Parts: sequence; structure tokens; C-alpha cells
Amino acid sequence: MSEDIQSRVKSVLLKNHLREINADELGYDSPLVEFGVGLDSIATMELLVALEEEFKIPIDDQEITPQVLESIESISEYIAGKI
Amino acid sequence: MKTVNELFQYAVQNYGDSTAIIEGEKSVNYRTLMAMVGNLSKFLLSRGIKKGDRVAILLPNSIEFVSAFFSISKVGAVSVPINTSYKEQEVTFYVQHSGSTMILTNSELKPLADRVAVKTTSSVVVVKGDDPEWVYETDAKYTIDPINIEPGDEAIYLYSTGSTGKPKRVSRTHFNLVALADNHTETVGWSREDKILFTVPISHTYGFGNFISAVKIGAGVVTMGDFDRHKVLDILDKEQINIFPAVPVMLDVLAKTYLPRPIKLPSLKLVISAGAALGESTFRKFHESFGIYPRQLYGSTETGVISINLGEDIENTFKSVGQAVNNVEVRVLNQKGQVADVDEVGDITVKSPSMTSGYYGLVEETAEVFKNGYYYTGDLGRIDRDGFIYIVGRKKFFINVGGNKVDPIEVESLLLEYPGVTEAAVLGVTDGGGNERVKAVLVTEVGIEKTDILKYCKHSMADFKIPGIIEFRPELPRSPTGKVLREKLK
Repeated sequence: MSEDIQSRVKSVLLKNHLREINADELGYDSPLVEFGVGLDSIATMELLVALEEEFKIPIDDQEITPQVLESIESISEYIAGKI
Repeated sequence: MKTVNELFQYAVQNYGDSTAIIEGEKSVNYRTLMAMVGNLSKFLLSRGIKKGDRVAILLPNSIEFVSAFFSISKVGAVSVPINTSYKEQEVTFYVQHSGSTMILTNSELKPLADRVAVKTTSSVVVVKGDDPEWVYETDAKYTIDPINIEPGDEAIYLYSTGSTGKPKRVSRTHFNLVALADNHTETVGWSREDKILFTVPISHTYGFGNFISAVKIGAGVVTMGDFDRHKVLDILDKEQINIFPAVPVMLDVLAKTYLPRPIKLPSLKLVISAGAALGESTFRKFHESFGIYPRQLYGSTETGVISINLGEDIENTFKSVGQAVNNVEVRVLNQKGQVADVDEVGDITVKSPSMTSGYYGLVEETAEVFKNGYYYTGDLGRIDRDGFIYIVGRKKFFINVGGNKVDPIEVESLLLEYPGVTEAAVLGVTDGGGNERVKAVLVTEVGIEKTDILKYCKHSMADFKIPGIIEFRPELPRSPTGKVLREKLK
């Protein structure tokens, strides 16, 4: 998978949702649930629109399962399938 | 009209053929809604509900929610609406604290309601979904003997979040609710031609205030459950919605949602933003996307609607929550306790015929914020020379997650129940989007995984209360007097 997509997903997360987190703490395979991602539906929706803005793609919320939100890797895989 | 029943009767008599509620493919007019209310009232009486009893409504925004509320009022009982995102422990608190003897719910939430019922000696009645115990029979005619209801009788219990560890019960009388609808509708000028989309929960004071106002004027109430951005955009378009009450984060999400083609919403004439401050980027982006500016409304569980910004110069005054609605007085008091000068910042106090008289069982807390006929909101603000109110800060200690108020003490108490957690401090931190998030700092005596804490939280509290950020520390920073220094935990 493209390093570029993973790096951009990480930037979106750090900029919008995990501003308090040190970038080094967040690996591409880190379980995002430990950082609170996917717990709150509104926050999840904010993440999705931020990803839509970044990648200029439509995201179908129904496709966003807990598995998609597991890690930067899994989100990137989903994005790669849309581009 | 001075009671909820008279308000509803007025709507039925004057707007009987108008659409009252639209829920997905289903819709009912005011006359049918009245028949449903007569039917459910009869059922409630048959199940022993009588004047003064409390009945919990654990339902999403729906035709059945509306029928339940007016039916409970019709028999003189008190409605206790409960947010459907709450977990067992939370629902148990509301049912127990309100003294509800019955829970009206749907088949999806029945298992939760059943567990609560066991602990609270209440009964559960399914009125929506699969295998309901009560069903509206269209060909049956039900009437009940009139029950004498006074304007001063209690109509609804709503709960206010504070920093006391537990939500505070706010009772509103029939008179309060009618006054709320009068004040709001006289100010905003809605009509029976309007359709209002409710994705904010009607169980919450903000949604409820708009809902009761909509019924008073015979407007169409369009309900939907959880916020779903694509569905909201679809309904706004297809149902030609005229009025849309929302919270800022919803508006932000809608404005940023990727759309292959721009959506025009020409029917939309009032977009209301409340629950949290409306940021400039959301205000402008929403206008850019849909051609209409959101307008801020200010209210509280204690008072109902306080003000709304209907000003013509919205581009320059959008940060204001507007002028006080009809019959509501707003005063800002300075540090000396005197009425502040124009633009002088101080405590925002409110006097309204729709406000409660205090918190149930909390004498001290009531005396602290209800003084000389005014409610002290805990918000700091100023009023400009045109009467526009600006909120600039708050004295109350809570976290505002997308319009949902979270009491840090309540979350700390729940976290301290987890085995091995010896100290907990909960605070709000702002994310990159400018929204508040819950952060928990924990001291533990054994090694605990974040995922275990999160799993426990998911089970014990509504999603919006779950700390998105969890940090473990060997100790909490404290002042010499032992007070946790939350600022040092940000």
C-alpha cells in the first residue's frame, strides 16, 4: 500500500482528532481504539469528512466498520480501494 | 391555553388535516395523532397509570414518542424522556430518580428496559417495533373521561448536567411548557406550512422546545433517529424542510460532506445552531455549501429557549445568540451584582415564564442559581446596544461534546468503580476541529490496558462520555490543599 496514503491518513488523524498525541506514538499498525477513534459516532463522522476532504472521495458511512477503523493501515487500505 | 392538553387540542382543532409527524415513509395528520393519543391514554389508564405518576419514554424521535408524550399528559402523568444512547446504569438512574413506574420503549431497547425494570420496580411496555404490546387501532374509537389538569401540575422531568456528579431533576409544569411554546413561536414566526426536521433528540431540552413549539403552531414534525449525514441531506432535500435545528458539529459535518454535485436547499429558511458555540469556519462553510447561514439559539434545561439570533446583519453578528425571545428577560450582572453596562461582561441571568422553580431535592444547589426570580445560567456574557447577547465563557464546570454536556465528576465516579483504578481526573481538551473531547488521567495500582478501560466505558456510559484520550500517571498533580490541578493535565 502507498506510503503516501498512510502518511496522509496519519496527518488527518493527528491534525483533527489526536492533536494531543505525539506523532511517534502513532504507528501505521497502532490500534486506533486505544486513542479513542471510533467510539463516538459524531467524532467518527468528523473523521470521515476530514478524510473525504483530504482525498476528495465520497465515503459511504455504512462501509465504515470497526475493522476499517482498526488502524492507519486499514483506513488507508479502504481509501486506496476508493481512489 | 394553559396546559399541554389544551395546546394539543388547539392544534387538532385548527390544523386537523395538516401533517403532524413524518417518520420515514409513515406520516400522520393532527386528527390521526389525536386518535392515537386517545387510544394510548386509554391503554395507560388500563395499566394503572394515574394523575401524578411518572412514565419514562425510552424511544427515539418517532410518531410513538410524540404519541407517548401527549398521552401521558392527557392522563395527568409526568413524562420522563430518556436519551436512547444511555446505557443501563444511566437509564436506571433516571427511572429510579424520577420514580417512573412504567417505561414506554421499542423492541430494540426492550432488553435494556427489562434489566432496568427489574432494578426499579417499573413495568415495560413496547409501543414500537416488533411484537408491540400497544398498537394503534385505526378503526377503534377511544375516549377517556376528562381528567382535571391544572396549569401548575408537573408535565415533564428533564435532567440538567452539572458538576455535582449526578444529573439534576428539572420539573416543568404544563404552564411552563405552554409559555415556552408561546415565547418561541411568537418570536420565530413559524406557521402550519412549515416542516421542521428533528435529528436532535426530542428527549433533550433543545429538541423538546422546538418540538412543542412546532405542535403549537401546527407545523409538520419530521423525525429521524441517530444523525446520519447522508440521510439528513436527503430528507432536507426531498421533504423540502423549512427549519432545521442542529448542533454545530452536525452543521460542520454536513457542510464538509463530499458531494459529487452541489445540493440546493431552497426551502430551508431557518437553520438553528445550539448546544455549543458556532465557530466561524462552520458558519461560513455551511453558507458556502447550502446558501443559508446558521443562526444561534440559546437555551437551558432550566429555562427553555432564552434567545435566538434573527438579526438581519447575520454576517457580522453570527457570534451572538441573539436577542431574548418574547416574554423572556435577560440581564447581565457585573461583579458588584449590578446590571452591567452595554458590552460589559458579567453573569447571564434569565427570568422566564417557562422556567422551572428549582432542582428536586437539592436545596443548596437551587438557592445558588435561582435568586430573586432569576436563573443564574453560569454563563458569562455581554449584551450589546441592540440587545444582542454574546456568550464569552462559562463558570460551570462541564465538558461540551458536540452539544452533549458531560459532567466530569460523573465520569470520574464511573472510572473509579473499575478494579485497580485508585484515582481519576476527567477534563475536556479541544481537538483540531475545535471540539471538546473527554480526557481521563488515571492512577492505577495494577497494570491496566487502555482497551480494558475503554471496553468498560463502552458498557457503562453513553458514547459521548467515553474518554477519547486516556493517560496513565503515577500520581495526579494537586494543590497544597489537595485539589486536583486539572489545568496541568491538559
